[in-house]
Amino acid sequence: MRLARDPRVLGVLGTLVLCLAWEGIGASGLGGFTWPPLSRVLAMLADPDRWDLFGRAAGSTLASAVVGYIFGTLAGVALAMLTHFLPRLAPGADRLAAGMHAIPTVALAPVFLILLPADSTPPTLAGIGVAFLVYVAAAAGLRAASAAHRDLFQVLGAHPSARLLRLDLPAGLPSIATGLRLAVPAALIGAVIGEWFGAPRGLGVLIVNGMQNFQIVLLWSAVLLVALISLTAYLIAGAIERAVHARFR
Amino acid sequence: MDRLLRPFIRDWWGILLLLLAWQAWVVLSGLNAIVMPRPLDVVADIATNLPVYLPALGISLAAAAFGLVGGFMLGLGLGILTWASTIAAGMLTPVTVLFSSVPVVTLIPILARLFGYGPGTVVAITVIISFFPAFVFSSAGLRALPPGSADLFRVLGASRWRVLTSLALPAAMPNLAVALRIGAAHALLAAMVAEYLMGSSGLGAMFAAAKSELNTERALGASLIVAAISLTLYLLSLRVEHWARARYG
Repeated sequence: MRLARDPRVLGVLGTLVLCLAWEGIGASGLGGFTWPPLSRVLAMLADPDRWDLFGRAAGSTLASAVVGYIFGTLAGVALAMLTHFLPRLAPGADRLAAGMHAIPTVALAPVFLILLPADSTPPTLAGIGVAFLVYVAAAAGLRAASAAHRDLFQVLGAHPSARLLRLDLPAGLPSIATGLRLAVPAALIGAVIGEWFGAPRGLGVLIVNGMQNFQIVLLWSAVLLVALISLTAYLIAGAIERAVHARFR
Repeated sequence: MDRLLRPFIRDWWGILLLLLAWQAWVVLSGLNAIVMPRPLDVVADIATNLPVYLPALGISLAAAAFGLVGGFMLGLGLGILTWASTIAAGMLTPVTVLFSSVPVVTLIPILARLFGYGPGTVVAITVIISFFPAFVFSSAGLRALPPGSADLFRVLGASRWRVLTSLALPAAMPNLAVALRIGAAHALLAAMVAEYLMGSSGLGAMFAAAKSELNTERALGASLIVAAISLTLYLLSLRVEHWARARYG
């Protein structure tokens, strides 16, 4: 009975129930013909003839997400450092970051569609989503160093850049690592929504085409693939986060 | 005047800078106003075409509001259910993990196909998308009790119902406020994306039509309205959150 109360066992059980429900609803036709059973979706993903299609689409989406992730992280950390050195700018930077985050990506897409070539909308939207989360985490992290340490650096006459590199940044790394984990799905959301607004290829394009042309199994397969990529990247980021927390806290 | 202007610039310099950069970029690059309208042109288009914008805005806002309320009730209801049963809570952890690690927005095309392209579908989609944050935050909040309080209630022989209404729900209020803030942004995003992808009605569909007619002023007008509304909603929900923290936190 103790085993049955273990959260991990229950989690696996819950996942199994979800998968069985997906399969059962699809196989019995309860969800209509637009709900395919899990086995058919997995069969399509496992079909080697499809790997070329899925591989190219996933590569394109992943590339957009990674580019957006890197630039978004750099922008978020840079903005956090700016407000760290010039605290007077902090309220306005907070509003800017919150504003960019509160505005649905759909609303920003047209602006970028006009400003940028079609294939750079996905990385840009991914970058904006990432930049907000990283900025919030980095701004909080850079304030995390203890007052005693800060006084010590002050008394020893440390240059502000030395204080940043040797005190504030190491103290802020755990918080930044948490932000980087939370930013993983944000990067993929940005990339996929950017692709919905007219990128030439990618998983988002597969999803919209599947939806519009009634290729139901293809639609579900592409969505499942996005979810699996996101989950994998999220777990990797979680492992990095734990390593950073262990080293810097 | 100076007393009013200074705090305004301090809080809003980021967003002001962005608007100024847009205007300056169009003027300096010498782009045709049809390709890239200036912010003032967009405001003028909104002001002169209110009868076009307002009904679309009303439809989108109504869909987002109904979806938010429905999803919130559903999420809170299921949250209370998992609060009452540890087995249900353990089995539903995959849902919690999926919400934070997977881009939920990519489900919209699947849901659009499941429910068909009807008028109720946008609402159904926003219900499901706003369900996730409500469920995740309410189930976490119902367990975030002040230390010792659960023991006190047990010693006093309180019934389960009494513990829920007098202890767990008030303790969950700050978390519910966070869920409301995140859910409001999600609901508007979901409604707009669903309308855009299905081309049904509301601001999202208006934007899709403007995009295919190359009516950039109209497309950007829709963007600007959604952006302004999301910002207002965000600031309002921040107020609610502060109040909930002060009152129940």
